[in-house]
Amino acid sequence: MKASAHARYKIRRFGAGLAFYALIIGFCGAVLFPVYWMTVNAIQPLSHGMQFPPSMFPKEISFLPFTTLFENYPVARWLLNSLLLATMTTLIVLALAVLGSFAMTFLKWRGKGAFGLLLLMTQMLPEALVVIPVYAMYRNLGLSDSLPALSLVDAAFILPICIWVLKNSFDSIAEEIYEAALIDGCSPLGALIRTLLPLSAPGLVAVSVVAFFYAWNEYLFAVTLVTSPDARPVAVGLASLKVMLDTPIDRVLAAALFFSIFPVTFYLLIQRYIVAGLSAGAVKG
Amino acid sequence: MAEQVEERTGLSRRHGRSRQSSLAYGLVFLIVAYLAVFILLPIVQQFLTSFSNNVVGVDKVQWVGLRNYERLFEDDDFWFSVQVTFTYMAFVVVGAVSLGLLSALLLNRKFRGRNLARGAIAVPWAFPEISAVLVFLWMCNPTFGVMNVFARLIPGIDENLNWLSDPKLAMPLVIALSIWKAFPFTFLVILASLQAVPRELYEAAEVDGATRLQVLRYVTIPEITPTLMLMAVLMSIFSFKQFTLIWLTTGGGPYGGITETLVLRIYQTAFRFFDLAYGATLGVSGFVIVLGLTLLFVYAQQRQDRARRR
Repeated sequence: MKASAHARYKIRRFGAGLAFYALIIGFCGAVLFPVYWMTVNAIQPLSHGMQFPPSMFPKEISFLPFTTLFENYPVARWLLNSLLLATMTTLIVLALAVLGSFAMTFLKWRGKGAFGLLLLMTQMLPEALVVIPVYAMYRNLGLSDSLPALSLVDAAFILPICIWVLKNSFDSIAEEIYEAALIDGCSPLGALIRTLLPLSAPGLVAVSVVAFFYAWNEYLFAVTLVTSPDARPVAVGLASLKVMLDTPIDRVLAAALFFSIFPVTFYLLIQRYIVAGLSAGAVKG
Repeated sequence: MAEQVEERTGLSRRHGRSRQSSLAYGLVFLIVAYLAVFILLPIVQQFLTSFSNNVVGVDKVQWVGLRNYERLFEDDDFWFSVQVTFTYMAFVVVGAVSLGLLSALLLNRKFRGRNLARGAIAVPWAFPEISAVLVFLWMCNPTFGVMNVFARLIPGIDENLNWLSDPKLAMPLVIALSIWKAFPFTFLVILASLQAVPRELYEAAEVDGATRLQVLRYVTIPEITPTLMLMAVLMSIFSFKQFTLIWLTTGGGPYGGITETLVLRIYQTAFRFFDLAYGATLGVSGFVIVLGLTLLFVYAQQRQDRARRR
């Protein structure tokens, strides 16, 4: 009698566990489905994708979508442009974010609250609100099609968030460490470079990733400020594939897959640091 | 030399502090000047343009006072796009926060493979918007799209749907895509805040004999409410700013702007109709909304701070 009650309990628990796993797998599967579908259609010959109903699994694997993509479209050029653009943006953002969050965390001055509020407001502005005057300004200065000029705009837009992210990592450094460096004869900036920066390496990496992939993914400024096909970054190039209706879908999805590998890898690797910073963008006077 | 000694011994604290603040002002000036060139001045310029008749091709640009604003208030298309904006925002905020909360609660339990599942759910957050758009368009293709395979599982549907060009489906689809892209972030943050809930609270609830639902209702939810509020504000910013996901999927359509948010309308007015002055006026109205959202954010943030200090 007792034994069978125990067995029943065990069976019920097993059933609940099974249901729980089914729920988790179903949910994760649904969330990842678009990524799966992109991959399937990017690694199989076009003919398998162009039928209805499509098969849920790849029947045949082919790298033809990738090779034809690189042969027929200037993807390498786009990638090079994006690398250049994102690297420049990252360098500008790193330099300014380090100085800004240093002033916010370790220096004493009046007006921190107002500065924080200014950062916050710029962080909330939609890109579309300033794209028109920036476009006019660049046209007048002859800076259209210039990737360095585009990186300046991208950097301005992602800088506020990066200052918060880095401030969050500076906040975890004890003030005594900074003061000890000053007492040892360092200037404030010397103390920043010699003691604070080495201690906030994860924060610096997080900021670099956020800035790099903002420029990597950014579309509105890039499509407006860059008009010549030679200067296009990947985001604009990819979107142009969508507009060209004759681009076979396997190539489009191969490009989408290729474009997403880098951000997904980097974001997931240092997810912890980015999330802590992004959600901590507090206004502390 | 004397100064150095003084500083080392901390004798001239006041002197040190004023030097500190002049350094701070130097650094902050650098950043403010930089933001001014690319963000603040363009905003001021937009503000000025909104009082002019600047349309590409007009002979003489001159001041027209409040004429653009009068037009704004009578412009049904503008009010419609405001309505679209807030509808889109409301659904994305509610959807992303509640889905983030549900998945965080689910994955906060102990089970084998938990880290793998967490990583899987974080993927859309790291996924580029352009790639998401391209896959989404293919999935919604009326002829070959896999969405039709799923739709046909629903009884009563035996024809392929038109998805993005269907006026009833376009908005829900764009909202679904945006939630898919946004909820992993709220999931990650809410999960972190769930882990920060003090263990003693759960133990006390257990001693009191609370059921699971009661624990959720009286312990967990109150503890993470500030985080939920903060996420709601961040999601409203995300959805208010959103351009790429909407522009590249529906372009604001179908049929006269069913999915055309304010941000898209600003872009269209300036770059399709070349009406710079009116585009700027729409921009000013967007700026007013941003100010409102900023205040909301500050409020949510201060509440969270207070909760954390407690």
